[in-house]
Amino acid sequence: MPTILTIWIAKVILSTSRRLGRGSGGALPGLVAERIDSDIGRKLARKLGEGSIIITGTNGKTTTAKMLRKVLEDSGRQLVANRAGSNLSRGIVSALIEHCTWTGRLHGELGIFEVDEAAMPAVAAMLQPQLILVLNLFRDQLDRYGELDTTAALVGQGIASTKAQLWLNSDDPLVASLAKYASAPAEVRYFGLSHAPGGKLRHDATADSTNCPICGRALIYTKTFFGHMGHYSCPQGHFDRPNPQLVAEHLKLEDDESKFNLNFGTTQTLAISIDLPGVYNIYNAMAAAAVAQSLEIPNQSIADSLAKAEAAYGRVEKISIDGKQLYLLLIKNPTGFNQVIQTFLLNKKQQKVVFLINDNFADGRDVSWLWDVALEELHGCWHQYWSSGIRAQDMALRLKYADLDYEGVNENVSETINNFIAQLSEDETGYLIPTYTAMREVRKVLGTKTLVSEDWL
Amino acid sequence: MSQRTVSILHLYPREMNIYGDRGNILTLVQRLKWRGFGAEVVEAGIGDEVDVPEADIVFGGGGQDRGQIAVGIDLQRHAQSLHDACIRCVPMLTICGTYQLFGHGFTTLEGQEIPGISLFKAQTVGSTQRMIGNEIVDTDFGRLVGFENHSGRTLLDAGQAPLGKVVQGFGNDGQSGYEGARLHNAFGAYLHGPVLPKNPAFADFLILQALKNKYGVSELEPLDDSVEQAAAKSAMNRPQ
Repeated sequence: MPTILTIWIAKVILSTSRRLGRGSGGALPGLVAERIDSDIGRKLARKLGEGSIIITGTNGKTTTAKMLRKVLEDSGRQLVANRAGSNLSRGIVSALIEHCTWTGRLHGELGIFEVDEAAMPAVAAMLQPQLILVLNLFRDQLDRYGELDTTAALVGQGIASTKAQLWLNSDDPLVASLAKYASAPAEVRYFGLSHAPGGKLRHDATADSTNCPICGRALIYTKTFFGHMGHYSCPQGHFDRPNPQLVAEHLKLEDDESKFNLNFGTTQTLAISIDLPGVYNIYNAMAAAAVAQSLEIPNQSIADSLAKAEAAYGRVEKISIDGKQLYLLLIKNPTGFNQVIQTFLLNKKQQKVVFLINDNFADGRDVSWLWDVALEELHGCWHQYWSSGIRAQDMALRLKYADLDYEGVNENVSETINNFIAQLSEDETGYLIPTYTAMREVRKVLGTKTLVSEDWL
Repeated sequence: MSQRTVSILHLYPREMNIYGDRGNILTLVQRLKWRGFGAEVVEAGIGDEVDVPEADIVFGGGGQDRGQIAVGIDLQRHAQSLHDACIRCVPMLTICGTYQLFGHGFTTLEGQEIPGISLFKAQTVGSTQRMIGNEIVDTDFGRLVGFENHSGRTLLDAGQAPLGKVVQGFGNDGQSGYEGARLHNAFGAYLHGPVLPKNPAFADFLILQALKNKYGVSELEPLDDSVEQAAAKSAMNRPQ
């Protein structure tokens, strides 16, 4: 079938599903287009004059992509991007179709795509990106991917199918080890932290990949930030942390913002301030800056745009209802959960916190990971906790074994949220900490009370 | 009188740590503490000096293949002392990757042999199928619930007792209907979840055996397990 016909069919599906109110199209147009022509993604990606950029890794894809889009759009680039969560090849094809005219021309010159780690072999080969950014690799949904090393090998396979320039996180040994898949050593660049205030949580037991990728011996760390992020070397000398070309230093972490200096390895440094808390968001901002720099965006523009960037859907969302402030903080894996604890709960007292744990496919069906979260860290904070979601009982049990008392357990998310908001007094703050599908439920409930952004990008 | 304390030996916590199995240690420690006993957790890594005879309970969890290879080699140093401990009826719980290494060993899909210590008479062979899902098993300690996630198929030799019979899920190999292995008070299982928090009768069996061996304790003070039971019930209602 001619390509233009495939585009037409997919565009009809796109506009129909929009008219029927089935969201904004999502993955269906791309899915159908790929059924008709398995090569459609490659053909459409070739129409991008400046090629495309892939952002992959376990945590922070959506936020980093959003930051990078902000920087590039502010500089006048015409972008094509996939929706958060639609990060398999069908979602990317859908985005490309959406930007096609009925005559088959593509509006947009540069593709910014977040890509699921397991989809990397297919998507990287399809897009032939000019640049691949790998943020981190943590255990996540092991029920889907099997092991973390398997996930890393899939990302590597994707890299190996391209001639792309790489930006890798030097502080993550598993990510740094992906350099071996690069088409040429000269194409590899690294970003990393010089230090992190406070260091690692005492009860942080997540260290998913702390073994030498060559000999399997435990790496020796001189600095640990969180999870297996830090400064490391193999005791046998097989593998050391690469020296990053881009370094974040002088980190200052506040409740609602973070400041740091970016050092480009020259005498010049760039002061960055973002309206997002937490070391993990500094990594995201630094990664976005790394790519922007490779695209020759002027340093000051990078800093100015990052200062205005917002968190992605449900990541660090603040929602106000009748004067009550609600934080919506998505959790997907122990490392992310620990970052939420460290950033939002640890330095406060007597807060009200709801955990909402589902075990649907998109959440990860295995809830074992809750036991690797550093909940014990919260002793002495005297927060009040509620537990909800399909696996509310599992979360309650986890709290019990962490010696943390809780106020209530209720599987029903909407009842829990309604009761929670009702008992908050005016001006009080509440923390809602859901897994992915629980977050969707929470937003639905909040949407009946206030305007909740349905903006997926 | 000084506090009676149980020493828990945690084998290879850094290498075998990715499936939340640490929750089993938390459970043993807390359930001892709630009954007035102390608990000391000794972590043993690759190359570490380990005093296995000092251990009142031995535990090892699941990990990745990369960690498992290095662990399989190092574990040989402790093979004899672990066999001796097993004969002394020291309670041991091994999950997934460590369970496989407590058997004869693991032959990977690529044909690589990771040696075990043959405490359980069981051989594990890699397969292309990953056996994933909520698992329910009937055992001497009642109905256990957990989450399995493995590609190795474990085949028990004739005469090797299992931990229990699979009610839902794959178990050892997806065919035999057996889950895990048992020799004296040593257990192997594929159950993550982790297994002990939601199956307190199993946890208490291990604890009681340790206290019996060390202090002659003959029964445990009962605890309120309503939260544990509610969590087990909700897990059992989830589809495989």
